Amino acid sequence: MRRTTGMLALAGIAAAAVSGSAIADTSDKRIALSNNYAGNSWRQAMLRSWDKVTKPAVEAGIVAAADPFTTAENQVTEQAAQIQNMVLEGYNAIVLNAASPDALNGAVKEACDAGVTVVSFDGIVTEPCAWRIAVDFKQMGKDEVLYLKDRITEECNLLEIRGLAGVFVDDEISKGIHEGVSEYPNFKIVGSVHGDWDQAKAQAAVAGILPSLPEICAVVTQGGDGYGAAQAFAAAGRDVPLIIMGNREDELLWWKEQKDANGYETMSVSIAPGVSTLAFWVAQKILDGQDVPKDLVVPFLRIDQGNLEDNLANTEKGGVANVEYSSDDAQKVIDDAKM
Amino acid sequence: MIRDVLRKPWLWSFVAAFLVWLATMAFTGFKGGGELISAALTFATFFVIVGIGQMFVFTLGPGNVDLSIPATMTLAGSVAMKLMDTQDSMIVIGLLVALVIGVGVGIFNYILILGLRIPPIIATLSSSFVILSAAIAYGRGLRIKPPPLLAEFTTVQVAGIPVLAIAVVILAALMGVVLHRTIYGRSVTAIGQSIRAAGFAGVPVERIRFLTYVLSAVLAALCGYLFSGFSGGSSLSMGEQYLLASIAVVVIGGTSVAGGNGNLPGLWGAALFLFLVQSMLNTYQLSAGLRYLATGLIIIAVITAAGGQKTLR
Repeated sequence: MRRTTGMLALAGIAAAAVSGSAIADTSDKRIALSNNYAGNSWRQAMLRSWDKVTKPAVEAGIVAAADPFTTAENQVTEQAAQIQNMVLEGYNAIVLNAASPDALNGAVKEACDAGVTVVSFDGIVTEPCAWRIAVDFKQMGKDEVLYLKDRITEECNLLEIRGLAGVFVDDEISKGIHEGVSEYPNFKIVGSVHGDWDQAKAQAAVAGILPSLPEICAVVTQGGDGYGAAQAFAAAGRDVPLIIMGNREDELLWWKEQKDANGYETMSVSIAPGVSTLAFWVAQKILDGQDVPKDLVVPFLRIDQGNLEDNLANTEKGGVANVEYSSDDAQKVIDDAKM
Repeated sequence: MIRDVLRKPWLWSFVAAFLVWLATMAFTGFKGGGELISAALTFATFFVIVGIGQMFVFTLGPGNVDLSIPATMTLAGSVAMKLMDTQDSMIVIGLLVALVIGVGVGIFNYILILGLRIPPIIATLSSSFVILSAAIAYGRGLRIKPPPLLAEFTTVQVAGIPVLAIAVVILAALMGVVLHRTIYGRSVTAIGQSIRAAGFAGVPVERIRFLTYVLSAVLAALCGYLFSGFSGGSSLSMGEQYLLASIAVVVIGGTSVAGGNGNLPGLWGAALFLFLVQSMLNTYQLSAGLRYLATGLIIIAVITAAGGQKTLR
């Protein structure tokens, strides 16, 4: 047996010991990451986190391989073919960020039938044989309103910036926001635009609707659009309202500048791209023989007024606030799901 | 005289833009009309910059299109931002590097089109993958802020009119002279009308096509540079909406899709129209599905109006 010295290896062994299962050997198991898209900073950070955690894990002999693959075209057919190839190449587990929740089910089923463990995360699949590490996007939207109701008690006009129309995530976050708003009648959504989770598009969309809107007291967002919204308000010569942020470095930096200049207060919430590493550990534990529930929930990464500086310091310039998950973190998520 | 003006295909894009503005204002009771025009000018500016390049390419005739515009914007924007690293003293160097990237992309596109005999639509699409991959490898998707002076220049307004918009109006006017009054511009039109006839008449067809693809890529790079300055940094997805926009402003602006008939003023009308349509539909608070449907129908209506007028001649 290979000598294990890495911290991660120790953590892995500790977690296995804690959970009471024998230290089954996954050192000959090979895990592949099937990723459908790499064209934004979140996905880039996701891939970097994968490397950062899995390379030491491979070196420490926890698994034999953890190879990332990304499709070029963000197409379902392409990713289905990629999954089939991974099965043929003999991977023991596929960690999957899927292009579609249902269109890949056929390929996923084939993989399961071939004895491959499939763990989907972020972009999950509905095929029952796969594990799902899903984000509770609806709760994320609702949390924004719950934060606002603690800050604002008077009548308040909200501007909602949504994501990419027709995408599940956009619908869910928006549903959560609307549910929250319906519970606190002092809030009223007076305008809604699609910013496609992109600062530049959000800026254009907000600039276009702003002239027709009454005074806005807060902006609810989906991430990657807060800084663009702030710029659109500033360009229109309006007072910048309370804008919920989405953990991007430019958003956090702007928040910090405003905080220092005039005590601006808000909060920021999103999913850490490092969730890919959570999926990695979950896959490793399943290969290890652990009994893992099929549906797991990703924790949010929330930044508040108090821990803004710390998080900003840990965020790469131009990137997105991130955490990598350890084997222990994965164990905690699994245990939470069992309760 | 009036009849001459009515015959201009570019007129319809301005009429459409104005009607859409009126429709928006009817909803808000004419509140914020000036601000809306300011915002429309601001964002239309960037559509026009890439639209000029795409229009020259379209004018070369059927089959000519540049699909690498979004990727070129992204690469030029991200390389320039990273190189300048928020220092005002690097602004000129950043601009030069962006333009050199544009020239490089144009040459690369043309090598694929002429050297390898790949149709432009495939050549520029595949080169855009190469270019975007280069941008990812270089910048890794990080969003680096522009130098303060560049951000200032791209956002500053005089009496509600963005300075950048004024500069691009002048650029469009100059390119109009290039298209209609210079040997190069007339050669582009001649090739678009009949590539064989142009060849027989002694037009250096390949050299003109080469220059046109380089022009388009350089303008895309310029747009990427300026847009990064405007929107607070480059991002990998910054060019996405410019693929359809660059084609839409050319077509709505009255340029013939069959080539041989370019049209510059129409780019401005079409760019304003595109932005205002989105603002109008957002202001009306239609659902996303209805917005897409309405956008499509309105664009078809404008193109039909512009095209229908032409056949009367």
